[in-house]
Amino acid sequence: MSDFQELIKSFSKIREYVRDFFVYGFKTRSDFKDKSPRTYDNQRRRLESWLGPYVRKDYVPGGFNLSLAIDSNLLDTNPLFQVWKTKSFTDNDIQLHFFILDLLQEGNTQTAEEITDRLLTDYEALFDIQTVRRKCNAYAKEGLLKKQKSGKSVVFSLDNTLMQWLKSNKNLRTALAFFQMAGNFGIIANQLLEQMDATNQIFRVKHSFFVHTLEDEILFDLLQAMHKQMAIKLEIKSSKTDRENMVHCIPLQIFTSTRSGRRFLCAFLGSSRRFTCFRLDTVKHVFLLEEAEDYEELLAKLERNRPHLWGVSFQSTERHHLDRLTMTVWALEPTENYIVERLKREGRGGTVTRTARNTYQYETEVFDCNEMLPWIRTFIGRILSLECTAKSVEQRFYKDLQNMYQMYDINDSTDEQNE
Amino acid sequence: MEIFSEIYSCYYRVLRHLLSSQNPLTIKDIYNRICQEGFEESLLSIIPKLEDGTWNLFKKEGELYLSKISPSFITPLTDLEKSYLKALLADPRIGLFLEPAQAETLNHMLTHVPPLWQQEQFWCYDRFADGDPYDDETYRRNFRLLLEAQKNCQYADIDYNSPKGNRVHHYYVPLRLEYSVKNDKFRLLALAHRSHKRQKLEIFNIDRIANVKLTDKKLSPSPSINDIIQNSYYKEPLKLRIVNKRNALERAMLHFANYEKNTVKIDENTYECLIYYNQNMETELLIEVLSFGPMLTVIGNERFLGSLKRRLEKQRELGH
Repeated sequence: MSDFQELIKSFSKIREYVRDFFVYGFKTRSDFKDKSPRTYDNQRRRLESWLGPYVRKDYVPGGFNLSLAIDSNLLDTNPLFQVWKTKSFTDNDIQLHFFILDLLQEGNTQTAEEITDRLLTDYEALFDIQTVRRKCNAYAKEGLLKKQKSGKSVVFSLDNTLMQWLKSNKNLRTALAFFQMAGNFGIIANQLLEQMDATNQIFRVKHSFFVHTLEDEILFDLLQAMHKQMAIKLEIKSSKTDRENMVHCIPLQIFTSTRSGRRFLCAFLGSSRRFTCFRLDTVKHVFLLEEAEDYEELLAKLERNRPHLWGVSFQSTERHHLDRLTMTVWALEPTENYIVERLKREGRGGTVTRTARNTYQYETEVFDCNEMLPWIRTFIGRILSLECTAKSVEQRFYKDLQNMYQMYDINDSTDEQNE
Repeated sequence: MEIFSEIYSCYYRVLRHLLSSQNPLTIKDIYNRICQEGFEESLLSIIPKLEDGTWNLFKKEGELYLSKISPSFITPLTDLEKSYLKALLADPRIGLFLEPAQAETLNHMLTHVPPLWQQEQFWCYDRFADGDPYDDETYRRNFRLLLEAQKNCQYADIDYNSPKGNRVHHYYVPLRLEYSVKNDKFRLLALAHRSHKRQKLEIFNIDRIANVKLTDKKLSPSPSINDIIQNSYYKEPLKLRIVNKRNALERAMLHFANYEKNTVKIDENTYECLIYYNQNMETELLIEVLSFGPMLTVIGNERFLGSLKRRLEKQRELGH
């Protein structure tokens, strides 16, 4: 049996485990049916090691639940960033990292041969030239080193100017402390802060979903494809059925929800000539294909369609092109004016009209009114009427409402009077 | 460019700190540093490599470890990090932090670097429409003064127009600046200057602050904001029952992922979830629960259940 290794080679393998523990937090060993018990045990042990302070164990019949107790109100950073800091490496990797970068700190330029010699004389470290050259080339590719030609030789150098500027700039450190929690690719801000030995002691962030960081590798590939305006092939694993499939599409934009915690790729499907959204957490791999010829045109078309999107659905269940939804609400003036403000602020371009004293009508036209239901329900307690050209939406709203009355034993006041 | 790279690994960071040490280290010093900064089992991997010289990064003199690396060792930025910074320069919020000259200097240093993303590549479809005015000079000035006060644990004289139209003028110590992604707004979490009362967090929308003046008075010792927040949580959490229909479980678990919660499986298809919250979160949590409709059942606490029922009763009274 091989020794347990705390570090890992591939991020994609651990991604699902972390997500399951973080999002669900009630799964025991037996819930991971697709994985071998040893794999589960090793992954669980790794998570416990990386995320120790946040791991909670609750003993239940048949094992224990391992969950991540993460309360964003109390945190100065995203604990899941730790998962990005677990890449394994070889003994040569770590030694060459420190020796080569140390050797070039003064801004001098050296060939791979010279570096190899200096490693032996200055650090008593013997490496073959191929290994050193490979590492220098890899670091040049990552941007840590500069590679250039000097006569017939290739020389490597290092430029610390930017890092020194960052270290001397308090304002930028404060900005990074904020953006690590509240922006795209927060992990990179977090890495930069760590390099400057700084932490966030200033900001807290609400409605930021920590779990998004697990999708950043996928997001990075998608953005690369979008920059290059390329078609892609997505490997997708359905969250409902666990079935995997491949999709050819043209990636156009990333859609984010601040409420549901989901992020999507909005893409154009050539096969059906439609825009479709794919949840980023279901995308397993992104493969870049050929350049997409009509990319700008598709972007413009998406831009024209977006005002009619409520969320991520471009098509209603009733196959109408657009559906109109009208909701009339009661808001006592002036004490409940905040309700009117909510309609305007959260209504995504819908119109708000005062139709009578204390009565306001909200109206909008979107592709799929089904997506509006969660928001509509937040006005329960003051909805005077709800009408929709997609009758199924109207019916579902009232049916759900009746179910809730039953669930909570809410009787009709007229019934009570009759009794 | 890779995000998942050993360059950013925890082990490299621990080693950088150990190697940047000016003084010779004992094995105990090394142990302590790994325990502080490494993962829980990192000791088991790192110590043997250093002891047997597989990682030949230290010169051993008797029991002491001397770094072979210069104490001023700096890791330069990778292309990924540069590209990230370039993208930040286009964020409307960057002006809250960087002076125009600083932003220009950074932009100049990143002249040939492509941004990692562009603002228009992202679309947040449910963000509220009335975000804070990040370009407004008064807003920026107040924001920066609050940052300064927060860093120094300093009382600030705050003049505030409350949403109800009242004017509040008092001394407060800013403890944290809280940003809401959904509202696209900053709020100030602060403590009021009160001598004999229990500490209670006051919350202000920064765009409603008319004026901030710093004072010379400081609060010492700095109070623990987490203790204050945790003490404010209701003893009885919200208790939800979730029947896993229409993907309700996954939706709810993700939706409430940011709350302190605990979920237990009751039977094959039913789950119970406890969510911890305080008075400030109550209305928002109620709205969130309502948005799920009948997919979630509130079974406690009585207070929350009462609020939910009142909304339903009011709805029923409206005739549906």
